Amino acid sequence: MSSLRTGFRCLRDIRQTGKVAATAQWQPTSKASLAYRPKQAINATRSITTTAPRLAETTTTEIIPSDLEPADQDQSAVVQVPYARAVPISPSYFSRKPIFNDAFVIVQDLARKYARLPIIPRDKVTPTAWRTKEQYRLAVGEHVKGRDYATCMKLAKRLNQIHPDLMPEEVTAGLLPFKREVNYYLNQPKIQPIDQYGRSHGVGKRKSSVARAWVVEGTGEVLVNGKPLSEAFGRVHDRESAVWGMKLTERLDKYNVWAMVSGGGTTGQAEALALAIAKALCVHEPALKNPLRRAGCITRDPRKVERKKHGHVKARKMPTWVKR
Amino acid sequence: MATANCWRCLGRPSTQRLLAPSSLTSFRAPSSVAAFTTSATLLAKDDNSFSMKGHIRSGKRLVLGKKKKGRGDRSKPPGPGERKAFRKRIQLSNDNALKVTGLPELEAQKLVDPAAVGQIVSLPSDLVDQLRTAEAFKPTQNWGLFRSPHMLVRKDTVDFLGDLTKRVGNKETVRTVIDGERSVGKSMLGLQTMAAGFMNKMVVINIPEAQDLVEARTDYSPIPRTMPEQFSHPSYILKLMQAIRSANEEVLSKEIVKLEHIHLPVSVSRNSSLASLANATKEPEFAWPIFNALWQELLQPGRPPIMFTLDGLSHIMRISDYRSPSFNLIHSHDLALIRLFVEALGGKTHFPNGAAIVGVTTKGNSLKVKSMDKALEQAAADQAGLPIPERDAFYAKYDERVFEALKGVKVFDVKSISKLEARSLMEYWAASGVLRMRVDERTVSEKWTLAGNGVLGELERASLYVSRL
Repeated sequence: MSSLRTGFRCLRDIRQTGKVAATAQWQPTSKASLAYRPKQAINATRSITTTAPRLAETTTTEIIPSDLEPADQDQSAVVQVPYARAVPISPSYFSRKPIFNDAFVIVQDLARKYARLPIIPRDKVTPTAWRTKEQYRLAVGEHVKGRDYATCMKLAKRLNQIHPDLMPEEVTAGLLPFKREVNYYLNQPKIQPIDQYGRSHGVGKRKSSVARAWVVEGTGEVLVNGKPLSEAFGRVHDRESAVWGMKLTERLDKYNVWAMVSGGGTTGQAEALALAIAKALCVHEPALKNPLRRAGCITRDPRKVERKKHGHVKARKMPTWVKR
Repeated sequence: MATANCWRCLGRPSTQRLLAPSSLTSFRAPSSVAAFTTSATLLAKDDNSFSMKGHIRSGKRLVLGKKKKGRGDRSKPPGPGERKAFRKRIQLSNDNALKVTGLPELEAQKLVDPAAVGQIVSLPSDLVDQLRTAEAFKPTQNWGLFRSPHMLVRKDTVDFLGDLTKRVGNKETVRTVIDGERSVGKSMLGLQTMAAGFMNKMVVINIPEAQDLVEARTDYSPIPRTMPEQFSHPSYILKLMQAIRSANEEVLSKEIVKLEHIHLPVSVSRNSSLASLANATKEPEFAWPIFNALWQELLQPGRPPIMFTLDGLSHIMRISDYRSPSFNLIHSHDLALIRLFVEALGGKTHFPNGAAIVGVTTKGNSLKVKSMDKALEQAAADQAGLPIPERDAFYAKYDERVFEALKGVKVFDVKSISKLEARSLMEYWAASGVLRMRVDERTVSEKWTLAGNGVLGELERASLYVSRL
């Protein structure tokens, strides 16, 4: 790999990169990808040995008789045997990281080829979700070294900076293995509407409670399940945590809340309500999202009751040890 | 065998040394003491010496089956009734609280003046004495946090008392039930009603806890020659009569006995005042006849109007815990004092001088009485001009006497306070030093919301209880 990183020119003699460099060779879907490798190899192998050749799995598609017959007829006159044995399509088949190696070579070739295309500044480029080293390792199943991956990514990001109007197709295809399936930077948050009566709606959960809150501009009246806050929550602490987001952002006297809570206990209900109110508040004033996040009213607390395990008295408690 | 004396000592062992106690012969003891000193030797405990009793590791031995004795509080436990007396005590002033100056004193006009809404007023000391005698203050109210008793004139006060005083002034009978959510200020409105009664020279009779009359806590006795049989509470009525006399002394002492009371066990001359009639006996067994006589006197034309209030209405709308001689449970309305109130509230008694009969419901300590709930619901609907809700056809235990007792009453629903009233109240608390925060629009609004949109008791809970002892 180090020879690849430093002296990748060694591959240039084998490959005719000028014509079909940009196609992936490990999983060829068309015959064009095999351009640098003579087709006769398969025939020659068959003619010499009686044992089944050890082919790379993907080449099996090439041994379809219908595919082979015309080739036999055409080239029966000139028998060229460059290899005595089956040779894998990718020259890096015998390295430890053939998939990455090939992808890297393609990126290098593309980078060299399109080095003179105009690029745009990095902050103008559409945000791209690149695979991290770990994600790439998981995706291809090869233990890619960090240093090699970083070198590759540097070239890939340089390629990605090419002006979008001039971006060649093959560059887009060559960078594909290094991108995540979903570019989450392009995700658009679903905009919650304020309805015709000026209400916004938010849902919050905590433990096993679910709260739905409708927030409307008003004077600070809160009704929970049709009851005022003092009847819905006996503890003053619970009442405070229910309206915590509004209190910290000083919006308590600016909005009215009408909420429905169900499930769980009082604490869970109060904290579910805090989440629901905060979300509904964000619909009215999106700028409040960060203060509310700092107040702890945006993030859902994922903790739930831990399940009981067999052999245990409770989730973790073990039965008392007895001697006999 | 080891010898007693040291191997290196050539001299013979002295018998004195052998006989001396070990502490003296040990190496450490004498060496630390100076040879010549005038101070007494301090005998430190020799912790190196083995004491013969007990195990060497006695502190670490496992001791089972023995209770630790002599631990805990050795002080004398409070005597019987002391704990309850402490719990039920009413403290009306607190020298640790700051004095709030510049607040107006309560006058009769202030309670009916719409301009006074949201004001904090101080209670004059003679009114405080009257209210205390009538047991208008409750142990659940936080009077003990403040220097002197003050109260908020709220919109409900002005609405209720404005209507009440006007109609009583026209010699009408006002029959009202004060209702509302829990801790919204119903008993406080009852107190303000009594204050208005005292200041308007009415004869105020107050039953502070209706619960006391029905839960078989006080003694009772059958009243002879009554049909159906009625029962009185001799000691309770005696106490009540003395409270009436001392609270309404000024009014009652001006009124003179008009009727002949020949059947009374004590002699009452015709020229004596009603105050002396109320004070005529100290015997519990004569309490009911004299109380009845006093009541009859008050019903005579030309007397001051009567204000009869009772707190805890739901308690008297059920069957009491008392038993008749035939061991049947007695209905609350067969207890004479309650019957008096119920007949007044139900409109059976005619008051020629005008009267205010006020029952205050309670939500914290109350039973679920379906008959009363339905009767109040019907009364409220009648008052609002809405269709009157029907009784539940599948509930067989409706009490007809309850419906009769609440026939035609007005229901006054106490609402929560506005932010303006909450603000003046919180400013008063802050001036008294019990609320330690800046009182501005934001804090007022916050506490108002936390208090369930301005429920007064919850407002106190949310803002004051952090500093309550």
